[in-house]
Amino acid sequence: MIEVHELTKRYGSVTAVDRLSFAVRPGRVTGFLGPNGAGKSTTMRAILGLDTPTSGRALVDRVPYRTIDRPLRVVGSLLDAGAVHGGRSARNHLEWLAATNDLPRSRVGEVLERTGLSSVARKRVRGFSLGMRQRLGIAVALLGDPPILMFDEPVNGLDPEGIVWIRTLMRSLASEGRTVFVSSHLMSEMALTADHLIVIGRGALIADTGTADFIQSSSLNDVLVRTPRTRHLADLLTAKGARVAAEPDGGLAVTGLTTEAISEVAAAHGVEVHELARRQASLEEAYMKLTDASVQYRAKDGGR
Amino acid sequence: MTAPSLVPGRGVLRSEWIKLRSVRSTTVMVLFATLVAVVLGVLATSSDASGAATMTAQDRAQLDPLGDSFIGLIFGELAFGVLGVLAVSTEYRTGLIRTTFSAVPRRGRVYLAKALVVGAVSLLLGTLLAFGSFVLGQAMLSPEHLEVHLGDPGVLRAVLSAGLYLFAVTMIGFGLGAILRHGAAAIAALVALLWLTYPVGRILDHLSYLPSRMLLFNIADAITRAHPATGKPALRIPSLDLAYTGLALYLVVFLALGAWRISRDA
Repeated sequence: MIEVHELTKRYGSVTAVDRLSFAVRPGRVTGFLGPNGAGKSTTMRAILGLDTPTSGRALVDRVPYRTIDRPLRVVGSLLDAGAVHGGRSARNHLEWLAATNDLPRSRVGEVLERTGLSSVARKRVRGFSLGMRQRLGIAVALLGDPPILMFDEPVNGLDPEGIVWIRTLMRSLASEGRTVFVSSHLMSEMALTADHLIVIGRGALIADTGTADFIQSSSLNDVLVRTPRTRHLADLLTAKGARVAAEPDGGLAVTGLTTEAISEVAAAHGVEVHELARRQASLEEAYMKLTDASVQYRAKDGGR
Repeated sequence: MTAPSLVPGRGVLRSEWIKLRSVRSTTVMVLFATLVAVVLGVLATSSDASGAATMTAQDRAQLDPLGDSFIGLIFGELAFGVLGVLAVSTEYRTGLIRTTFSAVPRRGRVYLAKALVVGAVSLLLGTLLAFGSFVLGQAMLSPEHLEVHLGDPGVLRAVLSAGLYLFAVTMIGFGLGAILRHGAAAIAALVALLWLTYPVGRILDHLSYLPSRMLLFNIADAITRAHPATGKPALRIPSLDLAYTGLALYLVVFLALGAWRISRDA
């Protein structure tokens, strides 16, 4: 379990994380979602004791990370796959890490096997592709067989095969009862992987909810209606208490009435209907709407 | 909560040893230092030996059999110092330091383990290199009976001090690497500290000889010679006591500053 209490981190005048509180529970994949610059990496570094919070605290299994004597056995993490010495082999990289936490050498071979790197274990990391480096980073996270795992943007730069591999791995780690905490700025990726979502923007909590609830509660759920008699049907539906908005392509976006109710109204008044469809916001849209106000760096129109 | 002690266990020491031996730069630096020490030492002493026939008694008295066999160690110093710098700075350059700190959150423990491993390796190799240079140089001089022996007054101390000095430069580089976190900057600072301070000392000589005497360059001169220097340059060279104290001060200051810096967020 990871717990973050009122965590605040300021760099000079910039507040990267703003009184953030949440808990990450075992047995499921928790997605940590937010636009670039929202404070995800800062929060993760604070959890690992790498950045000292301005105020508040972060605990893993109820203690601060820095007080754990052999932390790789408690928390496995992948923050930056590029953070390796290019001249060192994958095996040597894992071996020095295993030594720090008195892990048996056999673990090195096991994680190389699990991440599919056995055949390149003696090669210098310099020649590794981004995907291979990600796998090495994951091998590091798995080294201590920890009950808690934390990955910062693990699918960045991966090919589709690699993405599926990571997704499957995270799901299986969670099903083994581990706490799995994964950050991403890609909503669609999280929709496929995460059971639970923690959404932040500008360092503050926006949502802490199940992935399904998150989509459900989105205000973008409506019904699309197409008819040759647009004005007439719009008036009839409005009279029934619905909110009706015209779509640019001539359709009607109706909220407040079910598809059945709309169909009844149309039939009762002999109005021909060409299309009647329930629309659910994609996760991406729900996310965009939620984080809209909190995007820190927005491209300006036309430049300067 | 009980804070785990700063003393690194065997595992952490072993991890730093694996790190040091598993990168090519370590081997390259050690080979470079050895090669240059051997080649320059042999060149200098063989040139002494070949001139022996035409030497006056005064020339023989001025000959420095120790200094000439150590001449290549000046480059050795640079290689050892760079080794010390890289042991810390590459971790910051690659971001590896975060991985290290997530595996060993007690930063003081990491720093201590690293310093112990780099220190032990440089002291061992430095001492070997000093003895090797000495033995080789004296072997070149012995046909002309110009050599000195380990049993002669001050010689053993001077040879051991040459090894000690290589260790000290390595650790000053190590401290600079931790302070600056940037390889090129730390190496530049090391070169400046070792050699570019020399003219600065000379500028100040008319006020006091103390600044000159506290320079690493002159400290090295003092501790690696068997007999005290003579003549005017001797004024810039510290006494043995001052030299060893000065060297210890350098080590304490740079290692302490490095320790303070490493405790700051990476």
